[in-house]
Amino acid sequence: MTSRLTINRTRATKVFLSAFLILIAAIAVYAFLILKHDPSFVDLNERLLPMSWQHPFGTDHLGRDMLTRILLGFQLTVGYGFLALLLAVAIGVPIGVIAGFKGGLVDRLLMRVADAFLAFPDTVVAIVLSGLLGAGIENLLLAIILVKWVNYARLARSTVVTERQKDYITMAKINGLSEWRIMWKHLFPHLIGHILVLASLDLGKIILLISSLSYIGLGAQPPAPEWGAMLNEARPYFQTVPALMIYPGLAIVTVVLLSNLLGDYLRDKFDVKKEVAE
Amino acid sequence: MTLLSVQNLTVQAGEVPLVKGISFDVQKGEWLAIIGQSGSGKSVSASAIGRLLAPNLKAQGKALYNGKDILQFGAKEMRRLRGTSISYIFQDYQGSFTSFHTIGRHFEEFLKAHFKLSKAQRREMAEQALESVGLQPEMYTRYPFQLSGGQLQRSSIALALLTKPDLVIADEPTAALDSISAAKVLRLLADLQQKTGCAMLFITHDLRHVRKHADQIIVMKEGEIVEKGDKQSVLDQPQHAYTRSLMAASPSLSAASQLLKGDDTSCVYCN
Repeated sequence: MTSRLTINRTRATKVFLSAFLILIAAIAVYAFLILKHDPSFVDLNERLLPMSWQHPFGTDHLGRDMLTRILLGFQLTVGYGFLALLLAVAIGVPIGVIAGFKGGLVDRLLMRVADAFLAFPDTVVAIVLSGLLGAGIENLLLAIILVKWVNYARLARSTVVTERQKDYITMAKINGLSEWRIMWKHLFPHLIGHILVLASLDLGKIILLISSLSYIGLGAQPPAPEWGAMLNEARPYFQTVPALMIYPGLAIVTVVLLSNLLGDYLRDKFDVKKEVAE
Repeated sequence: MTLLSVQNLTVQAGEVPLVKGISFDVQKGEWLAIIGQSGSGKSVSASAIGRLLAPNLKAQGKALYNGKDILQFGAKEMRRLRGTSISYIFQDYQGSFTSFHTIGRHFEEFLKAHFKLSKAQRREMAEQALESVGLQPEMYTRYPFQLSGGQLQRSSIALALLTKPDLVIADEPTAALDSISAAKVLRLLADLQQKTGCAMLFITHDLRHVRKHADQIIVMKEGEIVEKGDKQSVLDQPQHAYTRSLMAASPSLSAASQLLKGDDTSCVYCN
C-alpha cells in the first residue's frame, strides 16, 4: 500500500518536473524562434480579440498579443525571481558561513544585523523602497534581496555552527589549512543541499511577491509584460473579457506550483534521515 | 632536552575550573602518557596546548614549546607550528576526515599548505606515508567511508606523521577501535615513534595502553595531577590512592600474558 503510494508520488513529481522543463523549453523556442508579435505593439483596431490562429490567446485592451506577453512575462517574472534569489543566496550564504565559523563578536554583529532585517515584512520594505526610490522592478528586486538574504545567512550559520565542532574541522585547522580554505572547501559543500531546497521553495514565494507588488503598481511598470501588472491592467475588462485575467493568473499559479513541487522533490532527495530509515 | 614545558596551566569554563594549574615537561623523543577517567581534564589540557579549545573555554598559564609560549602565538605562527611541529591524532577517526574528500585530497591540501612541492612529489610523499602505516597506496583515491575504522585511524596517523613533527598529541586514538585493531594501532604508533624520534603525548583512560609503551606517566584526577613519574615507579609503587584504584580497576591478565607471550593479536590485554 505505502509502496504504491510512494511510487505514485514520485511519478507525479517526475511528471510535474518534466512539465516544468517542457514549459521552459517551449517558452524558449517560442520566444526565440516563432515570436511573431512585438509584446508592446499597440493596434487599437485589434483590441480584445478572441482566440484565433493569429492570436492564440487573443489580444488585450490595447490590441497586444496575449500569448507573446504571457511568455515574455515568464522571462520577466521568473527571470527576475531567479535573479533576486541568486543575489540573496550570494549575499546571505557567505555572511552566514563567516558568522558561524568565526563565532564571537563577528557572529553576534552579523546576526543582529540579520535580525534587524528580519524585523520588517517584505511587503513593507518593498513599499518603503519604492516610496523612497520610485516604483520599478529594480527597486522591487532590491527589496526582495534585502529581506531574503537573511534566511540564507541564518541557514548557513546554523549548519556551520553544528559542523565546525566536528573533528574534521579541528583536523583541518591542525593541518594548518587557511580559514578560507576550511570554510569553502570543507564546510560549504555541506550546505549546498540545504540551500538548494530552501531556494527552490523560496522561488515560488518570490515570484508571487513580484507579481503581487506589480499588481498594486509597485513593481514592473506598464507596458512591461509582467503577469501581476497584466492582471492589474485587465481589471476593468474582467466582466467582458475574463480571459485577460485568467491567462496571467494561470501562469502565476502554474509557475509557483511547479517551483514548490521542485522544492519538495529536492527536499526529499536531500533528506538524509529518510535515506537511513529506508 | 625539554621539548614542551607546561607551566601552571589552568582551563576555565566561565567560573568553573576544568584544569587546575597543572605543570609537566615533555622531553624530546619520549612517550608521555596522561591517564585519568573521563572528565579528569586530560583532553582539555591537550586541546589547550594545541590552542583548540572551544570558544567558551579560557586557558591560562604557559605552554613553552622550545622556550616559546604557544598560548601567546599569533595566527600565522600557530599555523606553522601546527603544520610542521605539533600534530594530533583523534579518537573519532570517522569524523577526522571530510566525508566528501578523498583520503589523498587531505594529504594534498596539507602538503600544499606547508611546502613548495610539485604535484608528483606530493603524491609520492602521501603514498609513502600510507605505506609506512601499512596501507596500500590505492587508499589515496578512496573516500573515508570506504575505509574501515582501523584503516581510517592508520590514515590519520600517516597524516599526523607526514611532516615529521617533534610532538604528536594522541587523544585516545584507540578508544573507538576494537581491541585487536587498537593493539595493532598502538604498536604501529610505537614503531613510528621509534623511527621518527618524535615525542608522544598519549592520552588515555586505559592503563593497559601505557604498560608497554610509555616512558613517563601522569595521573590526572578532577583537573589536577595526582601523580607523575616514570612508568616503573608509578606502576610498581603507586603513591596516590587514586592511582591504586585505577590499577585495581584495570583488568590485568598478567598470568594470561605469561602464557600467551609474543602473540599480540590474540592477547590484546597484554599491552
